[in-house]
Amino acid sequence: MKLASLSRSLLRTATVLAFALTATACATNPGDSGAKDGAYQVNDPLEGANRVVFAVNDAVDTVALRPAAEVYVAVVPDPIRDAIHNFIDNLMAPLYIANNLLQGNFDGATDATGRFLTNTILGAGGIADVASQAAIPHASEDFGQTLAVWGVGDGPYLVLPLLGPSNLRDTVGYGVDTVGDPVRIWAYAHNGQGLMYTRAGVSAVDRRSEVLQSVDDLRRNSLDFYATVRSLYQQQRQAAIANSKGPSAQEFPDFTTAPKP
Amino acid sequence: MLTRRQFVASAALLAVSGWAGHSFISPAAAQTADQGASAFIQKLGNDAIATFSDKSLPRDQAIQRFRTLLYAGFDVPYIGRWVLGRYWNSANEAQRAEYQKLFEQLIVNTYAERFVEYSGETFKITGVAAAGEADSMVTTQIVRPNGPPVNVSWRVRKSGADYKIIDVVVENVSMGVTQRQEFASVIEQNGGRVDGLIQALRQKVGSRAG
Repeated sequence: MKLASLSRSLLRTATVLAFALTATACATNPGDSGAKDGAYQVNDPLEGANRVVFAVNDAVDTVALRPAAEVYVAVVPDPIRDAIHNFIDNLMAPLYIANNLLQGNFDGATDATGRFLTNTILGAGGIADVASQAAIPHASEDFGQTLAVWGVGDGPYLVLPLLGPSNLRDTVGYGVDTVGDPVRIWAYAHNGQGLMYTRAGVSAVDRRSEVLQSVDDLRRNSLDFYATVRSLYQQQRQAAIANSKGPSAQEFPDFTTAPKP
Repeated sequence: MLTRRQFVASAALLAVSGWAGHSFISPAAAQTADQGASAFIQKLGNDAIATFSDKSLPRDQAIQRFRTLLYAGFDVPYIGRWVLGRYWNSANEAQRAEYQKLFEQLIVNTYAERFVEYSGETFKITGVAAAGEADSMVTTQIVRPNGPPVNVSWRVRKSGADYKIIDVVVENVSMGVTQRQEFASVIEQNGGRVDGLIQALRQKVGSRAG
């Protein structure tokens, strides 16, 4: 089948890319990022092209996604939106489990498995998030994070058409997650491509609807919205990779004792 | 899929990273945590809620009160200077002064709205830990009437008997870092000139002043 071979070649490309990235990561020593200018380090050599894609995405958001999310919030009652959100997230659980295992995070894998079983069985197929009520922590682990744990550096920042902010490593990770996604495998085996599109659409609207006000605020208050989003993406990814254990690497010097210029 | 060699390599990497991860989780930091910083955040939060729960307050007065609270709680000049980062050194005295004024105005414009439109959020302090050499990180959870709770950490510095916030971290995103990177980007877009940033700030602040 054409698709199977496509997946295979995608996976092969991804593996090759991943190891190429590892090599670069080793060469550039990611430990240097805490150096004096750490806070300005933005690896964005394709900024020109990225800004163009960003502008297109932004336009799509303004005319389609944001209005759709607004309608969604206005029309669909809270409990149903929660159920949809939980259901979509629960479908991703096998990937969270797999990525936790690949990261050697066995506690994380145990939590993710516990969540999946609890919500699938007690949460009526995943529409109720019983696991959160039982205080089983939630962390979405993707293959981009797994690569990071394996020592792969970010690579250049990328803004992907429709998908938004990413970087080379996370783009590879996204490709691998897509190929490994059990829902996709099931859907393609049962001619359920329509289901995939539906899920992608609903998932996009669901995620957008959760940040309606925050994004409006950010857009209004930014001098350079592109740079703000780039910074947010990098910080959130760093925290997700470290499972937000590590303290902020930023230095806050004492200006009062600094020599006056 | 993964070849055997790649698998062994990744397993070794995993073992190392797993080991390295454990050294981070040490209770040592908790011992030096400053309870005063936590009490300071508690009081500031209570004051803010008390102030903005009063919906009879005229808008301009509410904004004035926000400014008062801002200066009681935050070291705004420090944050402004930190955010400008290395460009502080290349700015002259006049530029620094104007930048600091505009920065303060930007903060007020950005956040006053959110506080003035207070709609029943509450918060609880979930922890305090030492951060860096001299600071405390007070972690809080903001509980909203609708929507999931938000984790916010406050980096607090003590000078003398006074506590002041020097950074706010919302769901792992530092406001200081975000602004620093944004400002750096604006300056770079303007050929490395601080004036470019000041011009952009003037427009931003001016367009919303009044």
